[in-house]
Amino acid sequence: MSSDDPRAISANPTVNTQARTEVPRRDVERRSPHSARRASDRGNNRPLPASVLTPPTPPPPPHLDDYGAIVGQSQLDTLRYLAKEFKGKTIKMVNSTAVGGGVAEMLNRLVPLLSELEVLTHWDVITGGNDFFEVTKAFHNALHGAPYQLTQAAKDIFLMYNEQNRRRMQFGEDLVVIHDPQPAALVLSRPHTPAHWVWRCHIDLSNPNPGVWEFLRPFVAQYDTAIFSSQSFTQQLPIPQYLFYPCIDPLSEKNKELADSQVQQICDEFGIDRSRPIVTQVSRFDRLKDPVGVVQAYKLAKKYIDCQLVLAGGGASDDPEGATVLQEVKEAAGNDPDIIILDLPPWCAVQINAIQRASTIIVQKSLKEGFGLTVTEALWKAKPTIASAVGGIPNQILHKLTGVLVHSIEGCAFQIRYLLTHPEFARSIGSSGREHVKENFLMTNDVKRWLLLFRILEQAKGQLSQAA
Amino acid sequence: MATAENLAEKSALRKPQKPFYFNNSEHLLRIGRQRASDLSALLQALQTVPDDCIFQHTFRTLQEHHFIRQGFSNDFAHWSLFACNEPALAEQFASVDVREFTAIEGLRRRMVEILDEFLQSHNMSGSRPAHEPFYFCAADIVVLPTAFCADTLKAFLDGLNQVSVHSIHHHFIEARLRLHRMSNDFSQWLESEIGLREAADAIERIDIYANTMEGVRRQIARIVSQSIH
Repeated sequence: MSSDDPRAISANPTVNTQARTEVPRRDVERRSPHSARRASDRGNNRPLPASVLTPPTPPPPPHLDDYGAIVGQSQLDTLRYLAKEFKGKTIKMVNSTAVGGGVAEMLNRLVPLLSELEVLTHWDVITGGNDFFEVTKAFHNALHGAPYQLTQAAKDIFLMYNEQNRRRMQFGEDLVVIHDPQPAALVLSRPHTPAHWVWRCHIDLSNPNPGVWEFLRPFVAQYDTAIFSSQSFTQQLPIPQYLFYPCIDPLSEKNKELADSQVQQICDEFGIDRSRPIVTQVSRFDRLKDPVGVVQAYKLAKKYIDCQLVLAGGGASDDPEGATVLQEVKEAAGNDPDIIILDLPPWCAVQINAIQRASTIIVQKSLKEGFGLTVTEALWKAKPTIASAVGGIPNQILHKLTGVLVHSIEGCAFQIRYLLTHPEFARSIGSSGREHVKENFLMTNDVKRWLLLFRILEQAKGQLSQAA
Repeated sequence: MATAENLAEKSALRKPQKPFYFNNSEHLLRIGRQRASDLSALLQALQTVPDDCIFQHTFRTLQEHHFIRQGFSNDFAHWSLFACNEPALAEQFASVDVREFTAIEGLRRRMVEILDEFLQSHNMSGSRPAHEPFYFCAADIVVLPTAFCADTLKAFLDGLNQVSVHSIHHHFIEARLRLHRMSNDFSQWLESEIGLREAADAIERIDIYANTMEGVRRQIARIVSQSIH
């Protein structure tokens, strides 16, 4: 599930949004109808089809049984067996936003599924003013390695809002899960509760700003355990650390099966020719996604083999840097009629799904990446995928087994040529890629990991009590 | 075509005294403290990491990648090839069959021997930085029952065909660490409870490195079916 899923707005039945004082400005802008003033480019500035200009009505969220046809009955039996032990127990999830962003989307699916398994799960969102979210945004960037001078004022703001939330919230549950750094200091309530406390870190901490990390580390060290999205995202800590991969929802608009007629209709609307090879990158117009590098790789490959390039994403209408990057991409594309640039509104999940399904090859040539859920989406659609060996991508792409890893524009160009001319190999890695996702990166895997962790923490607590 | 031995075996089939309980093992991946940024560091870590790390990167990783038909054997081989660009070493690591070991200590010794010998003959390779570090992990294992319990060969086949591939891995591959002998739960039960020694041997000979775990399941089912009919 990626951050553009429109259902993030409405399908959160258990979240306590009353507590939220302010929706971050970016979230509001992302849902603005003005965002629809975007364009599709195929050599010239062609407007987007009318069908994508307004958000569709989100479908109801799926139930656990709906996943049976995808993951198999034995997987659902395992979830039900694991959950049986926790009937009547409760979980609290705490994060910093109810809408927008990957964490909120993941919780939108995870919370109802756990509750359906009768492990009652509450979702609480911390409150804060603009000053708090400015500080935590700066912390977020600094933890990703951006330069930042931590001031006492920033520390005070962070601690003040955490303290306010700590006093407002009750922690009577059996398992408390705090997501990301924003609410990390809520752990100060831990000594007064019987719960297991878990810190779920969704960001890459491999190269953090030392000042910010040294400030946050004493809070993190007070949890029972920490969870990271990749082995390479971790820091040395005195508590056990577990690996929970981010997940996609196979039943979401972005990932559900589509009829070929629907794929065809969407391709027709965007002027994509399915009779010729299609190379696609789906990501917002951001330099770290290297869309210009993708255009260059395509041009190198095109000298040898006929293909089209589709660059589908968003971010250019509500982000000034995105608009600049989009302009750079258009300049790099020149007048090539086979380069199709789609600046899509955030609710175009079905369109993205169709474009991915129509693609012959999917590329993710990022210079820096979190986990890279667009790669997960491509693999789930059994697409031969070429991606940079950055962030969490090597967790998903085992080179030449579930996809192909590259380190340069030239490498990317070569792999495009190779995969387009070796369809058997392309099919084989595509098929293994899908199995890899099924095994590790689907929402049902996430539910299972939480239940396993709960069980392991309860067992450890039982052993401690016995020893005492 | 049925051999004389096979026919004799069929006539000796007996009703099992003990049913076969299909279990399933689920794992939660724990990130270890040790990591290696080059082959010398890997050698040092291989000698000192806990047994459950060795288990994770050999037995367990095979389960995680059960769907890959060829080219994946264990994490040490994969890392040697793709992060260290050492195909000769990767081949050596990949040739280690986890089923030749009934205890982790022997498997660890074999991996250490391979790397030590390699570094002695390629002394420049030890300190060359890898593209990405090797992160040692381990798994917390939870064994769960399934709905399948077989007290006949037919019920055994039904269970075999319906349990998850993780259950197949649990009984067929991980079992030797539990049993401490060169066998597996399926062969053990078929031989000791039903009297199907030939089938038990045939199952034990299935090549797990040339098959996906689904392929292994199909081969076991075929061998058992042939024993029934």
